[in-house]
Amino acid sequence: MIKFTNVYKRYPGEMDVLQDISLAINAGELVFVTGSSGAGKSTLLKLISAVEKPTSGTIFFENQNLSYLKKNEMPFLRRKFGMIFQDHKLLYDRTCFDNVLLPLAINDSDPSDIGRRVRAALNKVGLLEKEKLMPITLSGGEQQRLAIARAIVSRPSVLIADEPTANLDRGYADEIMNIFYSFQQVGVTVIISSHEIPSTQMKYKELHISKGSLNNVPLLT
Amino acid sequence: MFRFLHNHYHALIQGLIRIRANWIGSVMMFLVIGITLSLPTTGFLLIQNASQISNKIQYEAELSIFLDKEIKAEQVDFLHSALKKNSLVKKIHFEPKLVAWEKLQAQLNLSSIEDGVSKNPLPDAFFISLNTLETKKIDSFVTDLKAIEGIEEIVLDGGWVKKLRSILYLIKIGILILGSLLITVLVVVITNTVRLQTLTYQNEIEVSRLIGATNAFIQRPFEYTGLIYGLGGGLVTLGILKIILVSFNLVADRVENLIGGNITLNTFSVEQSIFIIIIAMFAGWIASYIAAKQAIHKLEKNY
Repeated sequence: MIKFTNVYKRYPGEMDVLQDISLAINAGELVFVTGSSGAGKSTLLKLISAVEKPTSGTIFFENQNLSYLKKNEMPFLRRKFGMIFQDHKLLYDRTCFDNVLLPLAINDSDPSDIGRRVRAALNKVGLLEKEKLMPITLSGGEQQRLAIARAIVSRPSVLIADEPTANLDRGYADEIMNIFYSFQQVGVTVIISSHEIPSTQMKYKELHISKGSLNNVPLLT
Repeated sequence: MFRFLHNHYHALIQGLIRIRANWIGSVMMFLVIGITLSLPTTGFLLIQNASQISNKIQYEAELSIFLDKEIKAEQVDFLHSALKKNSLVKKIHFEPKLVAWEKLQAQLNLSSIEDGVSKNPLPDAFFISLNTLETKKIDSFVTDLKAIEGIEEIVLDGGWVKKLRSILYLIKIGILILGSLLITVLVVVITNTVRLQTLTYQNEIEVSRLIGATNAFIQRPFEYTGLIYGLGGGLVTLGILKIILVSFNLVADRVENLIGGNITLNTFSVEQSIFIIIIAMFAGWIASYIAAKQAIHKLEKNY
């Protein structure tokens, strides 16, 4: 589904953030991208989701070479991913309902179906009764769940989460991880960046990055 | 089609929400646009009224040809037939000196004996209307006429109307230039306001981009905001014009009673009013388009 071949990423005036990355992620896999702060985890996720382009090397997503993707085609590719950010990136001037509605508005979804889908996504993360509240009134864990609802509402084939539990206590973190596992079980590819692997019984793949290079770790169960 | 309209409806609502969220700034923007646009439009209104008055004046180039007092009757007949045949001449009227003298005496209610004027001082004259207003043709015709023996003097009448129209035309051009400059100023002011607004909504722009929004989707609410600024500003302009007109006509009405005549101003037609609003909305749209485009471009450079 996702294939990196000899990918390098360098920002102007900096050393290579990522060096010679080659990897493959299959559809429906649960993948943890691990490594210390500044190792290049977030950059790897940005390359996967076509937020950024590699300096060299090739990235294929569903047999499509992202290097050849035109600028105006990028937004349509990004819609295939559900993105969850460490800082949530919620819009605090609108309700929870309107936050979750945003991807559907962007995707040009059927207006008559929008309300039902937003409520289904909120229900999935247990925030249905808070649809009219503003995000600022939610706790940290709830805000992250709201961000997940926004990511899943357009039914993406890949969920990408950048350190989704970094600022949460253990209870909230487990709750969030369980939501991700439930999506992986219904066939969604889930890619999560984290400092370390959370304790889980799930089958997963680990991509460990150290100083911009990938240390291949065998598939664990 | 329904989805397309729904998208635009969604953007319009977002635009209105942004206007409401900063309603004091928005009202200020309406006033800025309204007052700025009212300057050239008031000028145009005055010119339009002046043009309407000048158009009511029937204008034809007229020549008064005064003949030599000693001219012979055969020469007059020859001139008469020659002028009649000329393609530039539309109408011709011959006024013999005796008739002119009688008319003058009747007008001034005097007799030659009483006033000691024993001789008729007036010459024979032709009064002709030309079927052209072209200065070159008229000048060449006058030069040809002056060369004819027996013609003492030629006077071109009605030139002042032409001069008035030329002045009005020049003022119109001046107002057009001033209007264009003021619209440019408006575009700059609105661009700056919407640019500040894009900073407020930078988070939304960034999130939208990350989850797959096209530039058009991100820009649309800002463009609607610009259009609403233009609409509000255009309506303020029409309101200001209405106040100016009502105030002017109130005073003009009193002056008319004193000096007579018609000096009240007519307002713009419905089409012209709509045109003013369209111009204001266009300025608002183009300014917000530039501002939003810049904001997205700046954000793209960060990735």
